Amino acid sequence: MYLEHIHLLLNHWPIIGSFIGLGLLLVSLLANSDDLKQASLALLSLMALLAIPTYMSGNVAQEVLRGSPGVSEASIQTHQGAALLAFVFMEITGAVALLGLWQFSRISNPAPGPLARWNVSAVVFFSIVTVGLMTITGNTGGGIRHPEILSGPESESITGTLGSAIIPWIGYWVTGYSRWVWPILETLHFLGLILIVAAVGVLNLRLLGFLKQLPVAPLHRFLPWGIVGFIINVSTGFLFFVSMPYFYVFNINVHLKMLAILIAGANLLLFYCTGAFRAWAHLGPGDDAPLFAKFIAASSMFLWLAVIVLGRYLPFAEESLR
Amino acid sequence: MTHYGPCLSFWFWGGLFRLVAGRPDKEANLELPLFFEVIEESGLSIWLRESTSLFGFWFVLSFHAIGMGLLVGASAVIALRILGVAPDLPLAPLKGLYRIIWAGFWIQVASGILLLIAYPTKSLTNPDFYIKLALIGLAVTTMQMLKSRVFSDPGLSDTAMMTKGKLFAAWSLIFWIGAVSSGRLLAYTYSYVSYLG
Repeated sequence: MYLEHIHLLLNHWPIIGSFIGLGLLLVSLLANSDDLKQASLALLSLMALLAIPTYMSGNVAQEVLRGSPGVSEASIQTHQGAALLAFVFMEITGAVALLGLWQFSRISNPAPGPLARWNVSAVVFFSIVTVGLMTITGNTGGGIRHPEILSGPESESITGTLGSAIIPWIGYWVTGYSRWVWPILETLHFLGLILIVAAVGVLNLRLLGFLKQLPVAPLHRFLPWGIVGFIINVSTGFLFFVSMPYFYVFNINVHLKMLAILIAGANLLLFYCTGAFRAWAHLGPGDDAPLFAKFIAASSMFLWLAVIVLGRYLPFAEESLR
Repeated sequence: MTHYGPCLSFWFWGGLFRLVAGRPDKEANLELPLFFEVIEESGLSIWLRESTSLFGFWFVLSFHAIGMGLLVGASAVIALRILGVAPDLPLAPLKGLYRIIWAGFWIQVASGILLLIAYPTKSLTNPDFYIKLALIGLAVTTMQMLKSRVFSDPGLSDTAMMTKGKLFAAWSLIFWIGAVSSGRLLAYTYSYVSYLG
């Protein structure tokens, strides 16, 4: 498998996934089913995770297609612009859904509370915008290789044009405007890392048997801090990537880091932010966690450690920095 | 500041070196203390900088990031709990996190010394480096004061511990944010990469 295949492998998932996520969410509201609501929030969060490598691999596809006969650079730019906006709204939807999901796994004040109702309306709003943008992204992306589906000779999309105008603008503010923007974003990226490590680490250590005198349920209250750290790091990472995509896109350590984030994020959201966590939340002071919980905790620790190490090794694979 | 600071630093370290070694400025490079060059030309320093091995510079840097996660992450959990996050969590068992804080601290000392051996001129001529060390000192001291005032008295209730520790917790968070920021900014504020240029 070559790198350009990754985009083809991934690109239908966030589009179809966001459609199904929104559909499930609307059905869950009509049927008043908490289980269905949880499933739709989990699906939307997973799609937000999957959208990260999908967007990034688009830059590889662009590089490979550049100059091929029958492919217009303008249609790629339009697609990239729409994809940027779809990605941003997919991430916002995923972040809000993740916070809502966290409430379902809380046992001291279970959802739906006042925040939960606010949360669901926000997820509905952002996922409708996302689905609209995903549709445009899919259409303009298909138009690159299939001009027969387009209405005019050149694909025209206001959204795509708007989005593709934002990309150089982000690049300018991050790398050109002042030499301090990049270092400040890097600093925020490190502070976000610490929030993730603190929140996820203390919960994992308890499940593994260290700090056994702590009850498990209240530790869950630290998770939103970890989610905030994750939001900071996805946002700053996104700004790094959009500003200098070719610094990252062919770097093996970036690929491995994204893979680790995908698994670590899915692990966190499925086991710690759904009703699945309630089975472990009753563990009191001195109680030993079941073997499966320990396995999940150990794999979570290993994956976040891998994310940090791969991030630190990122320049190692960069020939130009040698 | 980027131009003024290093001058002060050279003056200080250069003066200190001359005081200790008793050598007049006869060297070609009058600005930088000679011991930077001595360290930089040691085998370990050269290997750390130039090795293409997977266990060279980036390996040490990875440990420095992991140590930071342990040291600052564990401190942050204690500080946030004292400031009111996760109010149902009993405070006393969190004392166990101090073991992680110290494990992280010693990982930082060991990996930090190796990084310093790799690039002595780069770090020691940067005023930001001394700001970072000072902030780490303040943060660790604040965490230790928190331990002795709050965690050493088993008779205290959680509410009493929170009241007594609030100020220390807030300051330790501020010092840690400062230490991490000044540490990260070392990569962007240096004036010299090595002794020769």
